[in-house]
Amino acid sequence: MIRSSAKLLLTVLLCAGCAVARAADLYLICNSGVSLGASDVRDLFLGEKQFAGELRLVPVDNSAAQNVFLERVLKMNVAKYSTTWTKKSFRDGINPPLVTGSDAEALAYVKRTPGACSYVGTANTAGVRVVSTL
Amino acid sequence: MGTTRHRSATRGRAWTGGLLVAALSHLTLTHAAAADSERIAVLEQKLDQSLQTIQELSARVHDLEVQVAQGAPAAANKPPGRTAAAAPAATIPSDTAQRLARVEQTVTQMAASAGQHAEGSGLPLHGFADVGVGNHNATFSQYQGANVGTLEFFLTPRLGSRTRALFELNFEVGSDGTVGVDLERAQIGYQFSDSATVWLGRFHTPYGYYNTAFHHGQQIATSLRRPRFIDFEDHGGIMPAHSVGMWLTGSERIGDEKLTYDAYIGNSQRITGGILDMNNAGNTHGSTIVGGNLGLLLSGALDGLKIGVDAFQTRIEDQDQAPSYFSQVKSFGAYASYDTDNWENIAEFHVFNNQDLTGHTGTHRSEAGFVQIGYRTGRYTPYARYERGAFQQSDPFFAAQTSGSSYYRDALGLRFDVDLVSALKLELAQTHLTDRVIGSYDEALIQYAIRF
Repeated sequence: MIRSSAKLLLTVLLCAGCAVARAADLYLICNSGVSLGASDVRDLFLGEKQFAGELRLVPVDNSAAQNVFLERVLKMNVAKYSTTWTKKSFRDGINPPLVTGSDAEALAYVKRTPGACSYVGTANTAGVRVVSTL
Repeated sequence: MGTTRHRSATRGRAWTGGLLVAALSHLTLTHAAAADSERIAVLEQKLDQSLQTIQELSARVHDLEVQVAQGAPAAANKPPGRTAAAAPAATIPSDTAQRLARVEQTVTQMAASAGQHAEGSGLPLHGFADVGVGNHNATFSQYQGANVGTLEFFLTPRLGSRTRALFELNFEVGSDGTVGVDLERAQIGYQFSDSATVWLGRFHTPYGYYNTAFHHGQQIATSLRRPRFIDFEDHGGIMPAHSVGMWLTGSERIGDEKLTYDAYIGNSQRITGGILDMNNAGNTHGSTIVGGNLGLLLSGALDGLKIGVDAFQTRIEDQDQAPSYFSQVKSFGAYASYDTDNWENIAEFHVFNNQDLTGHTGTHRSEAGFVQIGYRTGRYTPYARYERGAFQQSDPFFAAQTSGSSYYRDALGLRFDVDLVSALKLELAQTHLTDRVIGSYDEALIQYAIRF
């Protein structure tokens, strides 16, 4: 009885630990020259915010972390996100965010591109500005 | 004879020369092709090697990150907003951190060189197409059977930081069954800020909700077709769906809500051949269409709801009359849309107060509107729509238009998303014509629409 309770407790603790770790593994990043608030991220990735002062913003999707980002920040699924951008693009003449294929690619792009912002699952974000951590 | 021999000899030399040239060309081309093939093979090999290296390094980074995470679980508990790079650095053993940094730097550099595709070509090209079948054509009810809808291409070139452009080139089947080409939109704009963009060119006249929310590509619309009275001019629409002129548009946050606005001025339209024409080249009498649209996007419990009002005024020349008739058209509209993950509900209503400027028949009031309710459930979206147009036939503006008769239509439909870029739609509809021609017809329509 005590043994099974201990196992149960251990499982719960492990799950809780996983949940905490999972909740902290998305980093919203921008090029170091970008001044952007966490509240602007949603508008940025939906094409509603395109400038930070005089600087043109360049949102970049990261397919390696996109599902988590859409779920936590935009509160929508991939299908809705895709449809939203299709409508936006053909109504307003703006293009959907570029897509990178990995954290490393997203980091590299954001580092070298003025105005770029993206999101990554890795904590190693040297050389870019972390707007918020989710 | 000698002449004949000379001709033969000349012909023979010509053939020989030709063969030599052909052989040399062939050799050169073969050599060039072989050289290209070798170069491509070498490049492919290098690319494969690079990709393999990237994969190996990525796996290595992942392993190291897992080791670090296991060795320093406290890192996962750092408070939000804390600099992400600083937290793990404090807990990672120095040798591991250095190795991790080196590997990550290498991967980053390789990924940066391999990831150029993310920057795009500078000229994104997109398109839409649809085909259908039914007991009537969805647009031209006199036809039945299979039909080709539209094939259209969108160009949204990446220009400077503030210049924007949008071109919509449409290949569509007209009422006579032939394929025509139309430059549906040709807009070049300058974006002053997030809240103001000015466009010049041909654009969708921003009245109501539907005309700017959707375009010729049916794949993004839930329903199989547009409401008839706000369809495009050459597809039976009775409102000026396109304008050529200048359009100022934008949005501004007011607290949690968002205010959207449009103001525009352009060439007034004309009626020719019973169809509204937007006067792409300008008009001959300097008349204009002037209008505006104000909308409010709500938030909180009403997130997804947009309400708005719009109005426009224009002076329409009916060139099918000799001399031309002129009508002053005034339209006032109100709309609401509720677009969430599950619901897509749209309602739009317009009132027309038109004045006959030539025949002196006075002013005429007409109305048109529709309500559409759709519910997304997985890949299926059933929808229902009711639309009605009550147009005074004594009003020269409606009387002059081929599709200017009053009607109402009920429709039930089902959209099935085959995948993210293609949809199959089924619609059952009943249309009643109530004045110029009295009658009704039932429709069973299927459409397959894609975007690419």
